[in-house]
Amino acid sequence: MTASHESNGQSRPPIALTGATGFLGRRTAAALVRDGHRIRCLLRGSSDEQPLREAVAAVGRNDAIEIVRLDFRDAAAVRDALAGCRTLAHLAAGLSGSASTLFASGAVATRHLLHAAADAEVGRVVLISSLGVYEASGLARGAEQTEATPVDRRAADRDPYSYSKIVQERVAREVAAERGLELVVLRPGVIFGEGRPAIASRAGLTLGGLLVQMGGRQQMPYTYVENCADAIAAAAVSEAAAGETINILDDDLPTASELVRHVRRFGKRVRRVWVPGPLVPTMCGLYHAYSRWSGGQLPPVLTAYRARSMWRPVRYSNRRAKELLGWSPRVPMDEALRRTVEAERRLR
Amino acid sequence: MSPLGIAIVGCGQIADAHLAQIAAVPGGRVVAVCDTEPELAEQAADRFGIATRLTDLGELLAMPSVDVVHLCTPVRSHAPLAIRALEAGKHVYVEKPFTVDAAEAREVVAVARRESRKLCLGHDQLFDPVWRRARAYVDAGRIGRVVHVESVLGYPIGGAFGREVAADPNHWVRSLPGGLFQNTLSHPLYRLTEFIGGWPDDPADPIDVQAHWMRRIASIDIPTEMRVHLADADVTGTVTFLSRAKPPQRISRLYGDGGILEVDYDAQTVRHTPAGALPGAFEKLQRPLGHAAESLGNVARSLWSFARSDIHYFAGMRNLFAAFYDHIRKMGPEPIAMDEMVRVTAIMDAAFASARESERSVSPPSRLPQEVAR
Repeated sequence: MTASHESNGQSRPPIALTGATGFLGRRTAAALVRDGHRIRCLLRGSSDEQPLREAVAAVGRNDAIEIVRLDFRDAAAVRDALAGCRTLAHLAAGLSGSASTLFASGAVATRHLLHAAADAEVGRVVLISSLGVYEASGLARGAEQTEATPVDRRAADRDPYSYSKIVQERVAREVAAERGLELVVLRPGVIFGEGRPAIASRAGLTLGGLLVQMGGRQQMPYTYVENCADAIAAAAVSEAAAGETINILDDDLPTASELVRHVRRFGKRVRRVWVPGPLVPTMCGLYHAYSRWSGGQLPPVLTAYRARSMWRPVRYSNRRAKELLGWSPRVPMDEALRRTVEAERRLR
Repeated sequence: MSPLGIAIVGCGQIADAHLAQIAAVPGGRVVAVCDTEPELAEQAADRFGIATRLTDLGELLAMPSVDVVHLCTPVRSHAPLAIRALEAGKHVYVEKPFTVDAAEAREVVAVARRESRKLCLGHDQLFDPVWRRARAYVDAGRIGRVVHVESVLGYPIGGAFGREVAADPNHWVRSLPGGLFQNTLSHPLYRLTEFIGGWPDDPADPIDVQAHWMRRIASIDIPTEMRVHLADADVTGTVTFLSRAKPPQRISRLYGDGGILEVDYDAQTVRHTPAGALPGAFEKLQRPLGHAAESLGNVARSLWSFARSDIHYFAGMRNLFAAFYDHIRKMGPEPIAMDEMVRVTAIMDAAFASARESERSVSPPSRLPQEVAR
């Protein structure tokens, strides 16, 4: 929960937001408004603002939201839209597609946006990066991955999403340093909640209706979408967060096996086959070898390196987020999983 | 003989296919990638192990190690970039569609001829193994004389690119004369023009082009369905551009006066229906039996191809690159004739003009059907 609950939100500059109509963005918008801020949402011409409006209306402050529609390729329009804002939370990002698609909506868009922010004299930028940027493959089994763990030096060998986030972060740091922006980098784990499946690829691969569970002892680096939105709202105003890099993770993280048990307990059927953890990198390495040998007849989506990065049994900590943001997850893990699974069952 | 030095200009999604397929062609080796956005050049270079990544085309064209430039940029830039590269002494491969219109196409071809440089266009489906098999049937006379050709293109409007175009009123595709269709119509069209001759507005060698396009998805404010009809003196053809049918299909049917072929790019199958040999009811037995035997043959062929690691979505592109590089080294014929590049572009111009005309003369449906795009 953010520290700021002042009622003088009308007199302070609005907080600018990209990606505000998305899964995380509309909750972040609601969290900022709930905390007494005015927000200015920069949306593409075609984004559907209805879910955003509903999320903000649910916290009862419809007058606190301003929507600006623009073409993000138009630097002058972006600069004008940011005029008068002192803080920008940059959430907009692609989640899937080829590396080039993810780079276009990630690193390239971020570079242009941050230059426009500097032109508009925005002081602070909160960048939503990813926990996937770390070089987890270099950690010992059971070791703790923290903000001090290095960023992956073999970025191009990672999955396209993690690779694009690594470069997006680097570009943001370069522009921030060059243009004098105060950058706060948040690295959320897997963001889950109503509207996304409770079992993410960190537990294994879903093929048709079947979960191929990769190991089971790895802790799931999860953060419930509302908790994550609270953390972003806190980072927008926290003085202690200035220039910092902070992982966003919930408390009581389950292991992959525990996650499957929870999901079943809440009434969702999970069909799974289990691959023992130590076999996972070898299996993925064999797949990759075949992919190379066959000239890409099967695409090289699995490699031993990606397996070690994705499914290594490491532990996570949210100490730094609690210290610097004065934040703690409002919705407990058990309740968050229950809500997510129930939403999945309703959708079926 | 050392491989030709290849440069990729434009590092978007289709550049990945070029980089992967060039790596499988002995005659070429990528020496540089170039994009105005440095991170796009970086990701292509890093993933495919290319040492030189640039943001300045001038710098790229000054590299003596670059023999061939592959243009993988949006179509509006094709003509100016191709002319610049040709005038810098490079051979040029242009992704489809060739240019915005036939006037630009003629200009590019004229520069290539003037500079004595080779030009190729991404009509890669003509070099796909399944199309080559179909051509072998036709060339052997197994369907007689071709009298009609159909091409179906299923377009995944709910896919990543389709969603972008649908969602962004300023998307570059929308500003093209042929809108959404301009970017992809050439694939089904050149499968027709293989068999149908003639030029629009040429009384000496005419082709009749009629087209119409339609809005059929409530949430998308541009036409997403198109039909094109072509006819020369002997052969007729139709293109069916479907945006709602699932799964999206890439199919051609060749109708001869001695049999019919159905070519399915996605299944990699050719189905041959010979002119009926048996009378009446017996044909109803003979034909499905023939198709069943052929299907078993297709399954066996696919299994064998898989075992030989020979199933690749962009196999046609790979074959076309190899043919183009051979042509540059004077080891093979011109894979796509320059006049054909202009002709297909001119037919597209005529089709878009006809579709616009029919759009004006036909009132739109009062109520659009239920949305099917996701």
